[in-house]
Amino acid sequence: MKSTQYSDKVLDHFKNPRNVGTLEGDDVTVGRVGNPVCGDLMEFYVKVKDGRIEDIKFKTFGCGSAIATASMITELAKGKTIDEAIKITRQDVADELDGLPPIKMHCSNLAADALKNAIKNYQEKQKPAPKEDAGSAEPGEILGMKNFEDRGIFHEVTDLAKFADKRTMILDSGERSMEIALHLTKHTPRVIFVTKNKQLPSGSKVEELKASTVRILYESEILEINGLNTVEKVTIHDLNEDEEYELFVDSIIILR
Amino acid sequence: MNFYLDYQSSKPVDQRVIDAMLPYQHDTFGNPSSLHAVGDDATEVLEASRGAIGAFIGAEKDEIIFTSGATESNNLALIGYSFRNRDKGNHVVIAEIEHISIHNIAKYLEKNGFVISKVPVDQFGVVKIEKLAERITDKTILVSVGYANNEIGTVQNISQIGALCREKNIAFHTDAVAAEGLLSIDTNKDNIDLMTLSSNDIYGPKGLGALYVRKGIRINPLIIGGGQERGLRSGTENIPAIAGMKKAAEIIQNEMPEETKRFQQYRDKIINEVLSKVPRCYLNGHPTKRLPNNAHFRFDGVEGESLLLSFKEKKIAVSTGSACSSKTLEPSHTLIALGLLHEEAHGSLEITLGRFNQEADVDALLAVLPEIVKRLRRLSPLYKEEV
Repeated sequence: MKSTQYSDKVLDHFKNPRNVGTLEGDDVTVGRVGNPVCGDLMEFYVKVKDGRIEDIKFKTFGCGSAIATASMITELAKGKTIDEAIKITRQDVADELDGLPPIKMHCSNLAADALKNAIKNYQEKQKPAPKEDAGSAEPGEILGMKNFEDRGIFHEVTDLAKFADKRTMILDSGERSMEIALHLTKHTPRVIFVTKNKQLPSGSKVEELKASTVRILYESEILEINGLNTVEKVTIHDLNEDEEYELFVDSIIILR
Repeated sequence: MNFYLDYQSSKPVDQRVIDAMLPYQHDTFGNPSSLHAVGDDATEVLEASRGAIGAFIGAEKDEIIFTSGATESNNLALIGYSFRNRDKGNHVVIAEIEHISIHNIAKYLEKNGFVISKVPVDQFGVVKIEKLAERITDKTILVSVGYANNEIGTVQNISQIGALCREKNIAFHTDAVAAEGLLSIDTNKDNIDLMTLSSNDIYGPKGLGALYVRKGIRINPLIIGGGQERGLRSGTENIPAIAGMKKAAEIIQNEMPEETKRFQQYRDKIINEVLSKVPRCYLNGHPTKRLPNNAHFRFDGVEGESLLLSFKEKKIAVSTGSACSSKTLEPSHTLIALGLLHEEAHGSLEITLGRFNQEADVDALLAVLPEIVKRLRRLSPLYKEEV
């Protein structure tokens, strides 16, 4: 069976997804689940009243079945008590859609997990949990860094033209690093800004950065730098998902 | 009405090719190994086909070996050459963006005692000669870099790579499947020693390919039998298909300049319109050093399989490098090699033009593309509509 051999019901939900959007308000909780392997992302917004799901909306970045399963579960969950809704399984969603291609059963059938996540977040919110400190761990040493001094690693930037058409990664060290990232976009189409933070502090530079072609990797750090003689790729640690992946780059700016 | 814009995946056989093949299914059905007149007719077309294919790549007819397709040709080139020349060294260099068949053959070679190095590419998909040069050691016997990339359409500096290999006395193999029929190829000028060709990629029948093997280059056969193809590829020749590939090569030689000019016009129209009409959309591959029939984009916040399904609704056939549409659920290794993140590789759309496309196909695509992207972005948590 091909991975895109979908039932009519799946196609219907893909074409006309139900309950797309977001909800706002103090009584709304959000559930978010991503598939780190392929990058699918699902967000559910749940409004609970008297223990029942009064309203639910979703947004999905993913394939046809990711969109269809999200749409389907909003229909299944709406009006149910949270105890009932949390019991909805991946299989239930797939069955309601008249089945999914086997290969898609796990990867894009994330809706049940995302809904559970939203409900759990709601339950957490009900009990006054002690706020955990956003672990300010010491910056770990970057493996391989010593090997690439003057071979693709820069600690200061004097000549921007040096980065012409180079995939350049720059580590967040505040305003100045953002400024350099913005300047670099005039010299290369590929600038990646890596920050350990979940968000960047509000300010005009940050707004400019977000509107630019700079790719921002939030909650991320460089674990390792690799290459034969010069920098060729890095291993990135996604602190949120606790996942590691490789990214091909040509130069790295770590300001001192 | 259907609109086919996925020529990279498969091409229809040209009617003129079908006409040229038909007599060899029934009237002229001989086996070239037979010594009677029926066999002689088969031998004649077999050799004429070698000649026609040789002419289109600047090779002599004795340098063409027929195979069952491009995958077999890649196997014969890499495994056949490496095993035969093991005494000279055990190191083989390929590029990160090679076709999956080359990557998997390289894995097989690794299991058999060879050492593989992979050359990274720049952000446009170009193999930099200095990156290749620094990987060459005194154990290197073979370099394999595709002529042009089948996904993103980037064309390599083949003559530069060929010259380097010649200077270092290393054999140079190129998989030319994506480039054949679209670029003029000259094995002599470019110092190519081994080259993979496919019949279908020049509108010939499926199930046939060829390997160019320069005179003096020694390889081991993979298929042993009656000693056909100078003992390098046994098995009774597929004469109807070979007659078809002959015709296909002749057509390409006559019509390529005209045809590629047309593709290029369509391609540029697509690239210009999409980039100007869709915000946060990027061209993958090289802006100029790219195949005349290839347009490859990525869209922020949109996933490729959803794109494909949406185009399918409109009866438009296109392709994607998204993980969701692949057998392994891994994103395209070519897009990752460009330095893209998984989520970026996710949002890719590949459009490849071919012989039977008309401007109406291009217009049909352009008429619906911006709206399709917009709709999927409205569903996406990764995209905030610009005000």
